[in-house]
Amino acid sequence: MGADHGYPDGRVPLRELGDSDPGVRARRDSIRKARRMSNWTAAALIVGSGAAAVALAHQSFPAAAPAAGTASQAGGAGIPAGTTGASPRGAGGPSVTHSVATTTASGVTITTTTRTVNGKTVVTQVRHAPAYADN
Amino acid sequence: MRAMPAVPACATSWRQVPTGDDVVAVAERAALGTTARVAVWPPERLLVACTAVDQVLAALDQQASRFRADSELSWLHGAGGGMFMLSNGLAEAVGVALAAARWTWGCADPTVGNALISLGYDRDFAAIDQQRDEPPAQPAPAPGWQLVRLDGPLLRLPPGVRLDLGATAKGVGSDRAVRAVMSAAGHAGGVLVSLGGDIAVAGTPPHDGWPVTVAEGPDQAGSPGSQLVRLPGGAVATSSVTCRRWRRGGTMLHHIVDPRTGRPADGPWRTVSVAAATCADANAAATAAIVAGRQAVPWLTREGLPARLVGHDGEIRCLGGWPTAGGRPIPVPPGSHVYAEGRAPGGSR
Repeated sequence: MGADHGYPDGRVPLRELGDSDPGVRARRDSIRKARRMSNWTAAALIVGSGAAAVALAHQSFPAAAPAAGTASQAGGAGIPAGTTGASPRGAGGPSVTHSVATTTASGVTITTTTRTVNGKTVVTQVRHAPAYADN
Repeated sequence: MRAMPAVPACATSWRQVPTGDDVVAVAERAALGTTARVAVWPPERLLVACTAVDQVLAALDQQASRFRADSELSWLHGAGGGMFMLSNGLAEAVGVALAAARWTWGCADPTVGNALISLGYDRDFAAIDQQRDEPPAQPAPAPGWQLVRLDGPLLRLPPGVRLDLGATAKGVGSDRAVRAVMSAAGHAGGVLVSLGGDIAVAGTPPHDGWPVTVAEGPDQAGSPGSQLVRLPGGAVATSSVTCRRWRRGGTMLHHIVDPRTGRPADGPWRTVSVAAATCADANAAATAAIVAGRQAVPWLTREGLPARLVGHDGEIRCLGGWPTAGGRPIPVPPGSHVYAEGRAPGGSR
């Protein structure tokens, strides 16, 4: 384990430590065995879970194509993290055909307030002016 | 055909808006110097929705209005600088504004308060004298958002610095409003809230997303340059120099100020619409794009934000997957750049 196997500052990669000690080597071999076993166990569990999920899915949803024209097909639109209670796109929502709002520069809206001052009714109206006349 | 629900009795300022679809209920009212609109499904939830939005708007106005003498923001300005313990709501709004400034490289800078006042935007826009002979005062470049420090609810505001949260506050309001509606409605159905055209949605969207018109002005929804898109989640906001304009000494001014110069932004875009995970993100990005000018294109592209930019010549440029055909969904990206934790929080009123 010469210095040429390590980093320029003298540090040595962890995997090269302890090669010369038989006790360390035996311990490392047994760790390798255990790791290999657990890898196989994990793989079996993953395969089993996947098969179970597929079986359950087939039981729950009879084979049906997704509704035509959903957001996922049309444009891959995602539901952002910032939304509240967002559900899968389009799922369960009604069909709405007409525009419900307009994204636009903020216009100015008329506001009418009615107050009673010294027994008299005072109506204040602030004008409605979405844009300057030369727009 | 299902009967449209009655306008909420406790929110009489709301006016019901027929849209042609009876599966959603839509109402609107004047708010924050512009128009607030709510769309909900199922339509029976309109009362709950309007009441929840009312509470959010009242709180936001009380916190962040630059024009109300009794607002928390006016109180800060009146104190002439110093250290302040903010309400949770204003702390969130200021925090979002500062994060937006950082994100947009200072193009959406909340320290433009004095710049707007020097240009004549010193009161509610509806009360501004739109045409005066005298020229505007000397431009006042923004001192810079870096001078403002916010640590939790503790704010340090240098003397003479005035905040204007216009680039993010309506977005924050829409984000809060949709969360409040969903919470009040038991997280059932779906909601869209628009504050002056800055739109957030939450819950389950209609099939293919909420149908939304993109237009340059509030009265131009059916004009040839408008477009119908669908918003499946998140938010969309529009900034434009074609609205909120006034004249001083023969010079036409508008409300989107370039923080570097203190003058109205004069880049190549007259209107920019941006979709993002939250309305505050979309609001900030749209305003920043107007200010950034040509640099907006590489910035929006790098940030992966769907955007629609309209040049002064009327030419339209779509970025980030913004649909070029009408009626298609906008691919809204996940994650927020302006809220802590990368997403809109549970709601600070």
